[in-house]
Amino acid sequence: MDDASLLMGRVRERDAAAFEAVYDAFYRLVYGIAVRMLGDTMAAEDLTQAVFLKVWSSPGAFAGGNFGAWIARVTRNRALDVLRSRSSRAEGEIPADVPADGELDEAVFAQLDGQRVRSALAHLPDEQRLPIELGFFGGITHEEIAKRTATPLGTVKTRIRAGLKKLRFELEGSLA
Amino acid sequence: MNGHDDAWLDSVAVLALGALPENEARDLRTHMLDCEICRNEYAELRVAADALALAAEATPQELGGAQCARLKARVMDAVETDRGPAAAPSDSRVVPMRSRGTARVWLPYAAIAASLIIATFTGYSAYTTHAENDANRQQIALLQARVDAQERAAENARAELALNQSRLADLIAPGSTQFAVQNGVVVRSGDRVLIALRRLPTLPKGKVYQAWTLRRGAKAVTPSVTFVPDATGLALVELPGSAATFAAVAVSVEPEGGSKAPTSKPNFVRPLS
Repeated sequence: MDDASLLMGRVRERDAAAFEAVYDAFYRLVYGIAVRMLGDTMAAEDLTQAVFLKVWSSPGAFAGGNFGAWIARVTRNRALDVLRSRSSRAEGEIPADVPADGELDEAVFAQLDGQRVRSALAHLPDEQRLPIELGFFGGITHEEIAKRTATPLGTVKTRIRAGLKKLRFELEGSLA
Repeated sequence: MNGHDDAWLDSVAVLALGALPENEARDLRTHMLDCEICRNEYAELRVAADALALAAEATPQELGGAQCARLKARVMDAVETDRGPAAAPSDSRVVPMRSRGTARVWLPYAAIAASLIIATFTGYSAYTTHAENDANRQQIALLQARVDAQERAAENARAELALNQSRLADLIAPGSTQFAVQNGVVVRSGDRVLIALRRLPTLPKGKVYQAWTLRRGAKAVTPSVTFVPDATGLALVELPGSAATFAAVAVSVEPEGGSKAPTSKPNFVRPLS
C-alpha cells in the first residue's frame, strides 16, 4: 500500500491534516491535467477544487490501488464533463469516460514520474504522439482526431496502438 | 461481437486511451468480457495511457507563487466549510462510565466475571495495539508525504534556478550577440537564442506572451514558446531550436495556450542579422 493510500485511510476519518498532505502531493497533477484539457486557468482551478472536494467528501470512492492513477482518471473524467457542457462541442466529439477503477500494472505505474513520461513521449514519432495527445488531453474521439489531422480513421487507430505500445516499452526501459 | 479478431485490437488501444465514443466503448467492453486476448491488450496499454497524465503535472512555473497559495487556500477553505463534526477516533480508549448499582456479592459468578474481564481486556489490548500501529503507520506516511512533496518542490526550484543561471551565463557570454528590442534584448549565444525582457505589462486573465521565429527562407513565422513575466515584469525565455535556422524573432500577446499564427500586433519583430 502506498503512502497516499494510507493517508486516505485517515481522510476517511475526517483528518484534515491527512487531506492536506494528499493535496500537497497531488495538486500539481490535478491542476496540470485540468489546465491542459480545458486550456483555461480559471476553469482548471475550479476543477481542481471540485476534485479535491470529492476526495474529502467521498473518500470511499477510492477503493484502493494506485492513488495517483485514480485521481488522474477522476480529473480527466471531470474535465470531459466540463467539455461536454460547453456548447461548442458536439456530443459525438467527446469520448466515453474511462472507469476510475480498473486494471492497472501497479508495479510499473508506481515507479513513474512526470519527467520519465515526458521523456518517453518525446521519443515517439510525431505521427503517433500527436493522436495520443489529442485523444488524451484534447478529450476528443478517434473520429475527431482523424478529421483534425486529415488522416484515415483506421490509420489513426493503428498509430494510437503502436504509440501506446512503444510508450509502454519506453517507460519500462526507463525503469530497467 | 463474439470471438476474437485482431482488427479489434486497434479499438482496444483507443478505448485504453479514452478516445472511443460511448456507443463503441460499451460494445467493446461487452466483447472484452469474453475475449481474453483483448482484455490482456487493454491491461498492457492501460498503464501507458494512464501514465500520460503524469506528463501534465504542472511545474512551479506553471502553478506557483500567489496562484498556488490562493488555490490551496480556496480548497482548504471549502473543506473547512464542508467539515462536519469530527468522527470519534477509531482507537479511542475512553470507556463510558456506567452508573453504579447496589453492591451485591455473587461469589459463584465472580470468577467467571473476572475471567471475562481478563479476556475482554486482553482482546481490547490487542485491538488497541493494532489500532495504535495503524495510527503510527499513517502518521509516518503523513510525514513522509509532506517530506516528499517538499523535496519535489525544492528539486523543481533547484532545476529552475540552474536553468536560469545557465540562461544568464549565455546572456553575458563572450561572443554572444545582442539585438535590442522593445523592453529588452534578444541574445544569440552559440546555437541558443534567448529573449530577456523587463517591465513587461501584466496581461489580463487568459492572455500570455508568445514568441515567434521566422526560419531562414520561410515566408511565415512559426509559433514558439508562450510565457508570462514574473511579479516584477521580468521574463527570461530560451527559444527551442537552433539559432542558425532563425532569421528573425518576434513576440506578441496571444490567448492562453498559444496561437498557430499571430492574432495581435507583435510587441517587436527583430531580424537576427
